[in-house]
Amino acid sequence: MSTITRRHFLTTTIAAGTGLLGVPALGTAQGKEIVMLGIWPFTGAFADVGPLLDRGMRLAIDEWNNKVIGRPIKYITRDDETKASSATRRMEEAIDSEGVKIVIGPWSSGMALACTEVAKRRKVFYYFSGGTEDIAGKRCHRYAFNWAASPYTAMHVVVDNYMRLNPTHKRWYLFVSDFAFGWSVEKYTREAGSHHGIEFVGADRMPLGTREYSGFVSKAAAAKPDVLCLLNAGQDVLVSIREAHNFGLAPKVTLLNSWGVGTEDFLQLDPKTRENFWVGTNAYYGMNTPVAKKMTEMYQAKYNVPPGYAPCAAYGMTRLTLRAIEKANSAEPADIVKALEGWETQDWPGKVWVNPKTHQTVRDYMLLRCKKPDQMKHATDFADIVAVSGQPTMPDSMNECKDIGSL
Amino acid sequence: MFEGRPGAFLRFVLLLVAIVALPLAVRPVVASEIWIFSIAAMALNLIFGYTGMLSFGQATFFGLAAYTSGLMMIHWHAPLLVVLAAGTLVGALAAAAVGYVCIQRVGTYFIMLTFGFNQMFFFIAYKWTAVTGGDDGLPGIPRPPLALGPWSISLETSVRYYVFVAVVFLLAFYAMKRIVDSPLGVIFQSIRENPVRAAAVGYDVKWYKWIAFTLAGAFTGFAGVLYSMMFGIVPLESISWIISGDIVFMVLIGGIGNLYGPLLGAAAFKWLSEAISVLWNRWPLILGVALVLVVLFLRGGLVEAFARIRGAFGGGGGRRDADEGVPVRVGAEGEART
Amino acid sequence: MNVAFFAGAILNGLVTGMLYALMGVGLSLILGLLNIPNFAHGVLYALGAYVMISAGKAFGFLGGALTALAVVGLLGAVIEYFGVRRLYRVHSDYILLLSFGLSLILTESIILVWGPVGITSQPPAFLTGGIDLGVTVYPKYRLAVMFITTALVLGCYLFVTRTRYGAILRAGIEDKDMAAALGINIRRVFTLTFAVGTGLAGLGGALMSPVRGLLPTMGIDILPFAFVVVVLGGLGSLPGAILAGLLVGVVQSLMTAIWAPGADASVFALMTLGIIARPQGLLGRR
Repeated sequence: MSTITRRHFLTTTIAAGTGLLGVPALGTAQGKEIVMLGIWPFTGAFADVGPLLDRGMRLAIDEWNNKVIGRPIKYITRDDETKASSATRRMEEAIDSEGVKIVIGPWSSGMALACTEVAKRRKVFYYFSGGTEDIAGKRCHRYAFNWAASPYTAMHVVVDNYMRLNPTHKRWYLFVSDFAFGWSVEKYTREAGSHHGIEFVGADRMPLGTREYSGFVSKAAAAKPDVLCLLNAGQDVLVSIREAHNFGLAPKVTLLNSWGVGTEDFLQLDPKTRENFWVGTNAYYGMNTPVAKKMTEMYQAKYNVPPGYAPCAAYGMTRLTLRAIEKANSAEPADIVKALEGWETQDWPGKVWVNPKTHQTVRDYMLLRCKKPDQMKHATDFADIVAVSGQPTMPDSMNECKDIGSL
Repeated sequence: MFEGRPGAFLRFVLLLVAIVALPLAVRPVVASEIWIFSIAAMALNLIFGYTGMLSFGQATFFGLAAYTSGLMMIHWHAPLLVVLAAGTLVGALAAAAVGYVCIQRVGTYFIMLTFGFNQMFFFIAYKWTAVTGGDDGLPGIPRPPLALGPWSISLETSVRYYVFVAVVFLLAFYAMKRIVDSPLGVIFQSIRENPVRAAAVGYDVKWYKWIAFTLAGAFTGFAGVLYSMMFGIVPLESISWIISGDIVFMVLIGGIGNLYGPLLGAAAFKWLSEAISVLWNRWPLILGVALVLVVLFLRGGLVEAFARIRGAFGGGGGRRDADEGVPVRVGAEGEART
Repeated sequence: MNVAFFAGAILNGLVTGMLYALMGVGLSLILGLLNIPNFAHGVLYALGAYVMISAGKAFGFLGGALTALAVVGLLGAVIEYFGVRRLYRVHSDYILLLSFGLSLILTESIILVWGPVGITSQPPAFLTGGIDLGVTVYPKYRLAVMFITTALVLGCYLFVTRTRYGAILRAGIEDKDMAAALGINIRRVFTLTFAVGTGLAGLGGALMSPVRGLLPTMGIDILPFAFVVVVLGGLGSLPGAILAGLLVGVVQSLMTAIWAPGADASVFALMTLGIIARPQGLLGRR
């Protein structure tokens, strides 16, 4: 190959490359519309939750008549496929092609850690509801917020109140989903447990989406616990419960799903397996606040079934975002951020306060005790609300978010 | 470079046109991924299309390089060219080690060995959460600027990163073309066609297979580094067999044994998965149908499809280039013992 | 860690092991005779489970299982006749890729018909709950599945080794051209073998569905293990598949009990060592 043509090849390529670098940023959709992206799982391990989250967000936007501060709202969704690569690619693609500046979702904490990186780099407003403390902790940044209660508070509410009612149940066995979510809730379950003298007689970590729980249930049974604490997520919870019953472990031993979705799980479980089943959750339809009650009414009217954690979370996040836009009279991410920071107001969970240093929402968490079939007063009377509390709140010193950065 | 082969020159020009037009059609983010996976697909093509070894574990090298470069950028703020080199090296070394074991067997056994190693590395990445972040992936990866001496070009926006990816892709493409057109490339092809005869003629078949595998690992590692900088995170699936399977798809759909095949395959695959998935969540069905049709009727992939279309319109056409795809003719049992 | 602990682990291992053996036997027939790496074996297992759910409502548990066997086996025959058959003259890698494409199509079809959400299935009423074995309490249904799959696997083995048809099969595995030259309709043998192999996978799925629940991707979970079993046992060797299946099941279960994260990796490490140390597999002949 002659040197002339090789050089020619290289120069042509480099010239083309540098030429393109001069091209201004490709145009994005502009205009009066406020584009909101819901990044939800429609396929993959959490495929059943996607449609529920979509419902919640849609409900909130419909309640505002698809408009805020006089501008129409365009609501779009993307499937994150419960894969970090898809979540980030689609989020970024939506930012480029639809001019998205407000992102709510996804569902899995693992995905959220990926999405928050994109939000930080592209400076878009980002709201997530999840059990990993990292979003408002180690990975905090000015544009990201967490709607769910902090796992510190949540695990305390669960453990403290459970022990108040069952002071002799000191032997606990843990099932932990092996990713950010599981690690956070395990850490604080142990921390809360230490105040009650709980002996953690064993713990198993398994990947999200594990189908074969027989081995773990056998191990748990051999350790003779009082409580089998399920710190896993998704379908894993249901599989664990079923296996625990198959192996005769439950209902003798309490099954405690500390960060659960509540309603949706109840609907899928065999009623017999709901005995001695306790659930800690961010959202149950029996929540006694004006906003929650109204939302439950609307949801029930439309879908004939009460809402669980997922639709309530999507609704709650969207609602607060829209209210923040109204408060700031602007839909620019920086303005929404400033409107939310330090805001104390009443919303779905009752009183909420957005900690400006960490962007963690300080709010109530719930502990439910499931009812036996003969105790239910109507078809969806699944559980008694045993406790609703926001105490204790996480001291800032314990939080790993030391510098939330600038806009 | 193209003397005497006007068809090849035209194809190259089309490639340049594609590079310029693609980000306008599918957005820079998706377009960047297409070129990144094109590099990985070209690498698999080298060992499958040209040397006849189907590897179901290329994600091993893709992921290892991605994690390595990610860690270097997070902890040492390593510059761009350094991580590119490091990732390529990691890919090559890992392929050399893994390949050495795998090439001892052929056929299904070879496939299972590559798959088995992929699973083991996947497991290590999954469990070694302190280093890799486990199931959540490795977040917080910066995108260093391209620094050449006194000049420093930022690559922060999607467009800029796309330009960078496109340029290095062309360099990788050029390198691959050189390999394939060289005597080494011919030896690879002879191994695919008839390993027994290649050995009889005096070539150390295992040695050349190992070289091919290692080279492929290097290219795949290079692609992995580019991927790590795409979203600021290395997801666990970078090293999972799902990606290995995706790369196999791309090569097959595009047309094996042809230099441009993997590019078409990567583009088709990524475009389908992005464009169609927004419309229909069940898009893998279409992918499956496409694969089945290709395997049954169009084993040369998209390359063969274009050739047939061109043949249908242009009558005689030009000579068949050495570049043109050749359906693999080796019978299943024929390559049993090497 | 006590006796109960290990007893439970070993029983779990035998249950999963027999399932792997069942999958392995089916796959070994297909791979050994037809040299087809059937990537769709996993999704056919899943399909069997889903057919069972729907058919079980109409025909009861046994009827549902048999329907699953029939439907999946029939599908296998169709796949072989219309798809795989065209590719025998071409490299076996293409058959693998065809089966890969089919697995995508079938998985998505399952989602279209039954939805993307996981479904649960109940064992027959008389098999629910656990039985006290003294050393540990163990679910009745799992024990039942273990016995049934053992019977099926042994049945296959006896069929292949003791019947005339089995002899034809084994002759075909040894040398298909010679068998054809001797007047055997080798094409029919291929189709039937493929149908039997896939039917077994479907039946396995049907039987396991109350144990593990159903998810559209359940096939993808079990497929790598089916291949490990076949490769470790020796391509084309049924006793090998049985032995390897049990070995893999027990190793995986024990590792889950001792160090859970390492369970899956240990299976693949076992396979890798196996292929390297004993290339023909544990009981393979080639």
